[in-house]
Amino acid sequence: MMTASEVMDDASKPDWTGVRLTPEQLRARRARSIAIALALGAFVLVIFAVTIVRLGSGVLTGPDYMRPVETTK
Amino acid sequence: MSVTLARVEPSIAGVGDYIELMKPRVMSLVVFTALVGLVVAPGHIHPVIGFTALLCIAVGAGAAGALNMWYDADIDARMARTAGRPIPRGRITPGEAAGFGFTLAVFSVVALGLLVNLLAAALLAFTIFFYVAIYTVWLKRSTPQNIVIGGAAGALPPMIGWAAAGGGLAIEPVLLFLIIFFWTPPHFWALSLYRTEDYARAGIPMLPVVAGEAETRRQILLYTLILAPLGVAPWLLGYAGPLYGIAAAALGAILIALALRVRKEREGYRAAKQLFGFSILYLFLLFAMLLVDRMSGGPFGHFAA
Repeated sequence: MMTASEVMDDASKPDWTGVRLTPEQLRARRARSIAIALALGAFVLVIFAVTIVRLGSGVLTGPDYMRPVETTK
Repeated sequence: MSVTLARVEPSIAGVGDYIELMKPRVMSLVVFTALVGLVVAPGHIHPVIGFTALLCIAVGAGAAGALNMWYDADIDARMARTAGRPIPRGRITPGEAAGFGFTLAVFSVVALGLLVNLLAAALLAFTIFFYVAIYTVWLKRSTPQNIVIGGAAGALPPMIGWAAAGGGLAIEPVLLFLIIFFWTPPHFWALSLYRTEDYARAGIPMLPVVAGEAETRRQILLYTLILAPLGVAPWLLGYAGPLYGIAAAALGAILIALALRVRKEREGYRAAKQLFGFSILYLFLLFAMLLVDRMSGGPFGHFAA
């Protein structure tokens, strides 16, 4: 069984047949990854903001079923 | 039996290519008209919800643009105006564009439905469907009335904005719809007049290709004669103030004058180019005036006599 470093060494050999990205492809992939991360971050912020706006002060009181039942005597 | 597998190269598409795929200039006009629909609607919408609605509409419009470029990649490659788009240029594969477009379409509609309201989401879904399935797939390649009927997709955003703000059925959003609907033919036919060879090469039956220049120039004038009074209608019906009415009348008069020049033009396309350029300004200023009218005290008729 090969160790991790042996696998790495194998990958750097000239006869290794995997896909090797060109510098342009690497740059494009990195830019796409950053854009997706920013879009996801923005989406989380939008969901957070809409949740706060929709619930308002209800955020602190919790859902109805958690509140104690008031009884009248 | 032998199986041939296509070699899939790793993508070289940059962020800018994907933004281009969403037709940012069309998107900005969609967002602006939706904003006007949202602002002139009765009632109050929280700024965060309003912003979310506009974001969803923008993404939905971008999705429709991407799906349009995916389906039209073959004809885009044959036209000088569109040959530089990401798919014909080889920056994005058709499959990537389709995946991007479908994902954004579903995402924008679901988000609008969950975060804003279902009527706005249904209208957005219908707009994307109409633009992609009815206009792009069906009408664009089959009839010279393509942009007339297809124009409905571009005219719907103010109604989506109106619905997002909680507005129900009313004349006002229908008026906004009609203004953009009747604006679309003179706008695109003015462009197609000086791009006739492009459209003919791509096999798109635009009016100048099928019916000739003279008929196109006549129909540009006819639609402009309907559009100009429609532009003034919000004031005439009491939904907007006199300031809007004066501006709409003046802009409409300039538009008719330009359409008349297009009608009379025998050589060259100077008037057609001027009409195309001014038509964008016309729509922008008309909707900006509605926005000003509403912001200066509205509701949509604050200064009405």
